Amino acid sequence: MINITGLEKIYRTEEVETVALNKLSFEVKDGEFVAVMGPSGCGKSTLLNILGLLDDPDEGSFLFNGIEVAKFNERKRAELRKRNIGFVFQSFNLIDELTVFENVELPLIYLGIKSDERNKRVEEVLDKVQIMHRRNHYPQQLSGGQQQRVAVARAVVNKPKLILADEPTGNLDSSNGNEVMEMLTDLNEQGTTIIMVTHSEHDARYSHRIIRMLDGQTVTENILV
Amino acid sequence: MLKNYFKIAFRNLWKRKGYSAINILGLSIGMASAMLILLWIQNELNYDRGYEKSDRLYTMYNRDKFNGEMWAWNSTPKIMAPTIKHDYPEVEDAARFNNSTFLVSVGEKKLNVRGAFTDSSFLTMFSFPLISGNATRALTGKYSIVLTQKTAKKLFGNEDAMGKTVLIDSNANFTVTAVLKDLPNNTSFDFEYLLPWAYMEKLGWNDKYWGNNSVKTYVLLKPGASQIAFDKKVKNITTSHSDESEQVFSYPLSRQHLYSKNENGRLVDGQIETVRLFAIIAAFILLIACINFMNLSTARSEKRAKEVGIRKVSGALRSSLIAQFMGESVLLAAIAFIFALIAVQLSLPAFGQLVGKDLFIEYGNLLYWTFAIGFIIFTGVLAGSYPAFYLSGFSPVKVLKGTFKKMNAIVTPRKVLVILQFTFAIILIISTIIIEHQIKYAQNRDAGYTRNNLIFTISQGDVDKNYLLIKNDLLRSGAVTSISKSANPITQRWSDGWGYSWEGSTESDKKLDFTRLGSDADFIKTIGVKLKEGRDIDVYNFPTDSTAIMLNETAVKQMHLKNPIGQIIRNGDHNAHVVGVIEDFILESPFEKTVNPMMIMGPASDVFGVIHMKLNPANATAVNIAKTEKIFKQYNPQYPFEYVFADESYAKKFKEQQRTGTLATLFAGLTVFISCLGLFGLATYMAENRIKEIGVRKVLGASVLSITSLLSKDFLILVIISLVIASPVAWWAMDKWLQNYSYHVAVEWWVFAGAGIVSIVIALATVSYQAVKAALANPVKSLRTE
Repeated sequence: MINITGLEKIYRTEEVETVALNKLSFEVKDGEFVAVMGPSGCGKSTLLNILGLLDDPDEGSFLFNGIEVAKFNERKRAELRKRNIGFVFQSFNLIDELTVFENVELPLIYLGIKSDERNKRVEEVLDKVQIMHRRNHYPQQLSGGQQQRVAVARAVVNKPKLILADEPTGNLDSSNGNEVMEMLTDLNEQGTTIIMVTHSEHDARYSHRIIRMLDGQTVTENILV
Repeated sequence: MLKNYFKIAFRNLWKRKGYSAINILGLSIGMASAMLILLWIQNELNYDRGYEKSDRLYTMYNRDKFNGEMWAWNSTPKIMAPTIKHDYPEVEDAARFNNSTFLVSVGEKKLNVRGAFTDSSFLTMFSFPLISGNATRALTGKYSIVLTQKTAKKLFGNEDAMGKTVLIDSNANFTVTAVLKDLPNNTSFDFEYLLPWAYMEKLGWNDKYWGNNSVKTYVLLKPGASQIAFDKKVKNITTSHSDESEQVFSYPLSRQHLYSKNENGRLVDGQIETVRLFAIIAAFILLIACINFMNLSTARSEKRAKEVGIRKVSGALRSSLIAQFMGESVLLAAIAFIFALIAVQLSLPAFGQLVGKDLFIEYGNLLYWTFAIGFIIFTGVLAGSYPAFYLSGFSPVKVLKGTFKKMNAIVTPRKVLVILQFTFAIILIISTIIIEHQIKYAQNRDAGYTRNNLIFTISQGDVDKNYLLIKNDLLRSGAVTSISKSANPITQRWSDGWGYSWEGSTESDKKLDFTRLGSDADFIKTIGVKLKEGRDIDVYNFPTDSTAIMLNETAVKQMHLKNPIGQIIRNGDHNAHVVGVIEDFILESPFEKTVNPMMIMGPASDVFGVIHMKLNPANATAVNIAKTEKIFKQYNPQYPFEYVFADESYAKKFKEQQRTGTLATLFAGLTVFISCLGLFGLATYMAENRIKEIGVRKVLGASVLSITSLLSKDFLILVIISLVIASPVAWWAMDKWLQNYSYHVAVEWWVFAGAGIVSIVIALATVSYQAVKAALANPVKSLRTE
């Protein structure tokens, strides 16, 4: 599904040049669950942003399902992103002014899906993450665990092939964290590819493979399964 | 998708009620101000354009040189219209028009209102809508009268006025032959009834003298006829029929209202300048209100940043985010428009009074609503475009990771916009101060005569016949200390003339234009002007004074007379002799530095239709008036006694300027208010944003005062920059405005200092509330929340 070779990303300010990714290469196959680990500043987030088509690399190749996307423009990236990729963030990132239902509905709106179909799919996915009873609540009225379940629901509602999770349990206690990890595992078992950035060894053990990064490069890969 | 946008827009408005209120209030005021001005502009631009044949209607003008300068004016000889109609095949029709006031009565109902004499062709040329009667025939009879609906109702109530009889001036019966709809609010004509020209002839008021420019002449050219060709032919109509030297030209009636300022004999600009000025003011007030929206939405952009990030991650394109934010501002503009419409409807009568016009919104007119929708979208897009581009440009990577930083540059668009707001506000403040100063300056000017206790009345009915009896009774009653007849009120110029010669005068002196007044006797005593040499005219003690003349000082100077008393002044076959010289006094504009040469002429010169009376200062005014009225009623029972106080009449000379001053004050006030609303919003945001910094500073020992001044300083700098930009602009604009008046104040430094202090105090008061509040907050609280 994902094949990157020689990926480079350098951030420049007036005084400092920071190499975030340094000729990074790896592959992720369909249906894999990969955890990316490493200390702060090692380039994990940059990698995730590039994989999520939110950012573009300076150098290197990025094949997404066999298509070179490294030089895609904003419009093409948005198109590819909204059809194929779901995001789960550490800080949930729900829109405060929208209800649970409306937050989950958002990606479907941008996909141009009709209202009836949207209702059906949102209800389905809310049911799956067991938050249906709070569908008309606003994010502030939910606990952290509940908010992250909504965020997961939003990430999967458009049935993406790939889910990118950025420390999905970072703001949660362990029982809520485990719940979210179970959900991700379920999704993976149903065929969704998952790439997850995490600091937690515990969480990483849910994955098939751990990529460890340092200074913008992969240092080791552990196959768990 | 739209539903989603609206939902979030409404929830955002509702959630941040304070910001929404500031935005809506500011936009409403801005939109209401712009709408009021636009209504006025619409009225101005459509002046005299509503007649069916507007594009073929022209006013005839004279052009001639006086004192080395070319002048154009539109009072013309009475003989001109019939001559043009007869001699020029390209002219379809022509009509004379002359306003005149008569007592119009039906039984006991009496109205002393303004009417006009005109030719029978007038009604077909101008297509004023008729309620009844026939436009072609209505003014053909000698004793026909055409009434406006309003006058017909006053005279006949709800009865049909057609065919009924109206008494004019208690000596002639007229038959109502047509009733007109009331005149629209954008016509330059002003009359309540029309009388046929034939009656003017019957009264002996008509003449065929090409040198008597006394009426308006309108022509209707045939379809397709060229105005240029017509002008070429008509140019010498006066010179070819007489020894007069005026050239004649036609001028489109539809341009007359807006473009009628004389500039060396050509008609350029004029009212259109005021229209342009107010269009600019309207645009700026709207812009300033929109700037509030721009600043407040970008200021709290951090709060929307996350939403932008999530939407982008969810697949939103930048264009759809722009559409969303634009939609929000259009929605806000629509809400503001509703409030603005209510405000306009409520303030329209007062505003109409202020601008001297009956303005209204045509709610049934689809065009208005189309315009309203366009106006809402325009305002929404103007206010929303910058925030939309700004907000939609956020990178989702940064905002969602929390590395998003707000702009903190020395020059930010927000600061520039605040400076723009305050620059405009300060320009208006400076202008207001200068306009008011100029009016006061002219008001305090010595007019050269005493207006206290001076009244005048128009001589009607039997007054002239019984004048001496009235005069004696008035003096004997003690109500009046002196009385004098004249050809026109002391506050208005009704007559001027040239073509005079005297001993030592040259040919060019024949073009010296004199303002003309008249007097039978006691002019000096009644009016209170100062005699310089000689004596007052007194036709009762010196019968030859019927051809006497008093000159003002300017006349003596411009005529180069060494010994004016006894000089003979000739005009054609008429000779007059100078008996006195008076000091200059202001008859016309107190804004003119110099007064025109003036002649006060004995009774042989003219019909004296105005009586001036000096009320006895020893009595209460009401008592004097009651006694005077009783005597007038005794000798002229048919007519009501109507009088005008000279000081009130004089005060009207400032009306135009006072109107400008009031409008400037109004819009300056509104602009300042809107700008301060925005400033208040920004200060609130700033206090919120710097709450941690303030906490740290306080913990480290900063005083409330030092924090307040720290927070206020940034805004003060912006206001001071605005002052620096505004001052030269205002100076340039007001200097230009003052050039319209030769008697004017100098633009002085204290005006700018004053405006500066005013704006700084206002800005400081606006900001300091939030600054002090932030400075007083307990630092423990603010630091804990971080």
